[in-house]
Amino acid sequence: MLEIKNLKASINSKQILKGLNLSIKPGEVHAIMGPNGSGKSTLANVLSGKNGYEVSGELNFKGESLNEIPVEVRAQKGLFLAFQYPLEIPGVNTNNFLKTSLNSVRKARGEKELDTLAFLKIVKEKSSELGIDEKILARQLNVGFSGGEKKKNEILQMKILDPYFSILDETDSGLDIDALKTVAKGVNSSRTKQKSFLVITHYQRLLDYIKPDFVHVLSDGKIVKTGCGDLAQELEKTGYKKLN
Amino acid sequence: MKQQELEKSKEYKYGFTTDIESVRAPKGLNEDVIKFISNIKKEPEWMLKWRLKAFNRLKNLKEPNWQKPKYPKIDYQDLYYYSAPKSASDKPKNLNEVDPKLIETYKKLGIPLEEQKRLSGIAVDAVFDSVSVATTFKDELTKKGIIFCPISEAIRNHPELVKKYLGSVIPLTDHYFATLNSAVFTDGSFVYIPEGVRCPMELSTYFRINASETGQFERTLIIADKGSYVSYLEGCTAPMRDENQLHAANVELIALDDAEIKYSTVQNWYPGDKDGVGGIYNFVTKRGACRGKNSKISWTQVETGSAITWKYPSCILQGDNSVGEFYSIAITNNHQKADTGTKMIHLGKNTKSKIISKGISAGYADNTYRGLVDINKKASNARNYTQCDSLLMGNKCGAHTVPYIKNKNYSSIVEHEATTSKINEEQLYYCNQRGLNQEEAIGLIVNGFCKEVLQQLPMEFAVEAQKLVGISLEGSVG
Amino acid sequence: MENFEIDSKRIDQIEKITLEEKNFRIKNLELFKTAGFPNKKFEDWKFTDFRGIVDNNFKKLDTEKVTYDFKNKELLKNFDHNYIILVNGSLHSNNFDYEEKNKIKISSHDNNINYKLSENPLICLNHALAENGYFLEVEENYKFKKTLVIYNFFTNNIKDKILNNKNKIKIKKNSELHVIEYTINESKFKFINNVYEDLTLEKNSKLKSLYIQSKKSEGFFHKYSKSKLYDNSDYVNLIFSSGLRFNKLDIESDLIGENCSCNILSALFLNKNEHQEIKTRINHLVPDCKSYQRIKKVLDTESKGVFQGKVYVKDVAQKTDAYQLSKALLLHDDAEFNSKPELEIYADDVKCSHGSTSGTIDEDSLYYLMTRGLSRKESTKLLIKGFLNDVVNFIKNPKIKEFVENKLEEQINAH
Repeated sequence: MLEIKNLKASINSKQILKGLNLSIKPGEVHAIMGPNGSGKSTLANVLSGKNGYEVSGELNFKGESLNEIPVEVRAQKGLFLAFQYPLEIPGVNTNNFLKTSLNSVRKARGEKELDTLAFLKIVKEKSSELGIDEKILARQLNVGFSGGEKKKNEILQMKILDPYFSILDETDSGLDIDALKTVAKGVNSSRTKQKSFLVITHYQRLLDYIKPDFVHVLSDGKIVKTGCGDLAQELEKTGYKKLN
Repeated sequence: MKQQELEKSKEYKYGFTTDIESVRAPKGLNEDVIKFISNIKKEPEWMLKWRLKAFNRLKNLKEPNWQKPKYPKIDYQDLYYYSAPKSASDKPKNLNEVDPKLIETYKKLGIPLEEQKRLSGIAVDAVFDSVSVATTFKDELTKKGIIFCPISEAIRNHPELVKKYLGSVIPLTDHYFATLNSAVFTDGSFVYIPEGVRCPMELSTYFRINASETGQFERTLIIADKGSYVSYLEGCTAPMRDENQLHAANVELIALDDAEIKYSTVQNWYPGDKDGVGGIYNFVTKRGACRGKNSKISWTQVETGSAITWKYPSCILQGDNSVGEFYSIAITNNHQKADTGTKMIHLGKNTKSKIISKGISAGYADNTYRGLVDINKKASNARNYTQCDSLLMGNKCGAHTVPYIKNKNYSSIVEHEATTSKINEEQLYYCNQRGLNQEEAIGLIVNGFCKEVLQQLPMEFAVEAQKLVGISLEGSVG
Repeated sequence: MENFEIDSKRIDQIEKITLEEKNFRIKNLELFKTAGFPNKKFEDWKFTDFRGIVDNNFKKLDTEKVTYDFKNKELLKNFDHNYIILVNGSLHSNNFDYEEKNKIKISSHDNNINYKLSENPLICLNHALAENGYFLEVEENYKFKKTLVIYNFFTNNIKDKILNNKNKIKIKKNSELHVIEYTINESKFKFINNVYEDLTLEKNSKLKSLYIQSKKSEGFFHKYSKSKLYDNSDYVNLIFSSGLRFNKLDIESDLIGENCSCNILSALFLNKNEHQEIKTRINHLVPDCKSYQRIKKVLDTESKGVFQGKVYVKDVAQKTDAYQLSKALLLHDDAEFNSKPELEIYADDVKCSHGSTSGTIDEDSLYYLMTRGLSRKESTKLLIKGFLNDVVNFIKNPKIKEFVENKLEEQINAH
């Protein structure tokens, strides 16, 4: 699904990622943990194609190089990023935005565009599956949403757009246990042999609900350790410091 | 002192006059008076030429009239343009030679000129009417290569610097009052901070108008060379007189690459009595040029005095990444009027400016914020943030906000916010309930309202300014 | 003014006027001739050299009458409505089939005396030469059942003209009217339309007016609108006049009865070479009134937007609640936005605030939308619409809202 080879990235001539290697196969869930400033969010941004980074190394997504591909085309190809801090966009209706978004993804996949009715049907289905009140979709995009609502909205968008590969950038931070469960439910219910996830987190807590196949520790722009699910628990006990 | 005068002096404690013999130029504005000033200051020929050029231009200029506060016509021929204490006409070489009466005057104003008593480490240049009477801590500054002296001395001793920078920020013909100043300026301070030097102490000028029927036209020029830093303070007072006195100063600041100038003013000229009789017309032109990259100029002003205050300390942000700041408190009470604000002219890339203005109006006073933010086409990624808050006490006074905003660069962001309100009754009640009387409570709340600006002042000035804020509003609540 | 020669002979051609009116007109013509077309020296034109604009666009200008051939045009089918048709500013016909009889009076506006002299030369010019506007009066206790559309046609032979019109609307006690002023310009030539609008809202009355046009046009429009608001009246002015080459709306509102409310809202998208200017002055003259202004502009390449807004609060106007916001989104390097949001306040127990921002589209928001698969162009469009939407949402009637949204969309798509 995703092959990262010797990925280096810098912003404002400060190098953040310093040669990162990672391989994610279809159906796998990988977790990336690491202390603040280790480059976790940079990795998420670089994968999604955010401007402003100087990037070198190889990025292959479903057998195709991502290096020159702009943000929206990556999204259309089925790469999704759940933001750590979802933006508030005043005046833009959430439903309207989602419909436009879904249709551009469908168009890229060669599927036919959905009319409002068909779209709303999907929304209803997905939001009730996650136990999210669909009323929030009638509001302006993330405006006045609580932290939990914003994160739930990200997961709902993920469900609706139905990507192959999803990155969750510290989606768990600042969430209460109920919201955390919603997030986990969103991921677990989408886990199939074709879909992969990269869960970026600072705490082990989320990984109690989303069981990863692999856990990687990111430190100073590199993966310094890789293990199975129990590595997360180990880290929780010993902390990151011992790794350095 | 008569009973009445005693009463008055309670309102404005700097209102005394110093009985000192003075030398004056003949009344009136003409070439002879300008030659007189130039001559008495032993100025070189080029300086006199410069003054006369300004005077010739002045003949074709008209007084501006777009400002909110209107004033009765000034008879420029009925003013003295030069007045100096006789004892100072031969400049004293050290403090021991300064007339004891003058030292006493500054002591009364809270500014001891004796260096040994000065603990806070501020170098002071004291300007009395038209001349500088004393400059302290000169030796210490000279060691670092810093020049801090009366401008008349700089004209004689550092002509290359003066010629290069004088009038380079405020052109000779800028507007009526600036040009008038160029023709007749008498004294003021000159500061030069050499490359890479951080001035070790606050520099300060204390202006005092004493003589009657005298205009004060001082001129200040501050140059911060590459990578240097200076913080400069300015304070002003005047005796209480029934006449209106004109004060038309020019201040020019120049910051070269990576240099920073912080300029603070506590302006407490005599505001006139509670019926609006007398007081200073404070028509001042202050302008700074951030000429070098990464340079910074920060203006802070606390304007509590003067019958009319009319000034816009401005920044021309020429250098890329340069920063301009303007922090202002303007308090007007009784019949005082203030029309003040700033201009931020963004020319360089990534230039930033910040404007925080707090206007407080009480009694019959009128307080206007007037400002310009101009983002030039080439000023990519420029950023401005402006906040203007006004507080009104009573419905006989006025508060006005007149910002002009021009944005010609799409990558730039300009934000302006303004509010006008009265003192929050709940807050007053809360303070009263905790035992503060009305005036203390207002003082407290107003100081809170002004906090962002007061914080910008150096410690010594901040304390004085805080007191001033309270005093200026005394008697404003019935 | 080499390109515009005018003298009092032109006033002699105006029919049926009293000597008093004639003198008023002559006086105003003199004022105009002394001042000329306004340039930046006029504080109200601080950011716009209209004199230069006139010189650059017109070799010759006149005010002579135009004969035209006007066949009934196709009217809007989007929603049921009453209508008035104006052709080149003159009242042509009207239809109030949806309303009760005797509740509405409509006539040509001919009283042109009781107006204050102005410092704006264009208003002087209007006072001197205005002819043939309309005067609409709504009787007491009557709520219009359907919206009134004022079709403002300009025929295809209007060229190098200055058309001066004066219009008047009076809503009597407890009545309500919704108006859409819809401009349809068939002329491909340049001309100036200079309008004076006089609005009166009596006690407990409501007026909602919406200003829009059918498509881009070469006309130069200037309108001064003066409204008087009495107790408990409610005035809403919605401005969607995108697409004009030059448009200046100068809106002055006197709040003279307690508890009245004045709302000015605008959402505009300016394409290449378009100039839109809104100037407001809200005079809070009595206590307990509210005013609300929300002006949003999106500026594309080589367009210019100006907002000059003033809130004036008289000393007796305690408990005033005044809010003013102007926001601009600059899409290109050649766009320019100037503003002067002004407060002049003499009463202390008031809540007054204003804000003005200008900047470009937020890159982080664009990025967020693009991670969801939208192209840069689509994302930009979505953000532009989002930016303007909060004003469009003030329209309550869904059909009218859709109509306005479509017009705005056309304008955005043209970018």
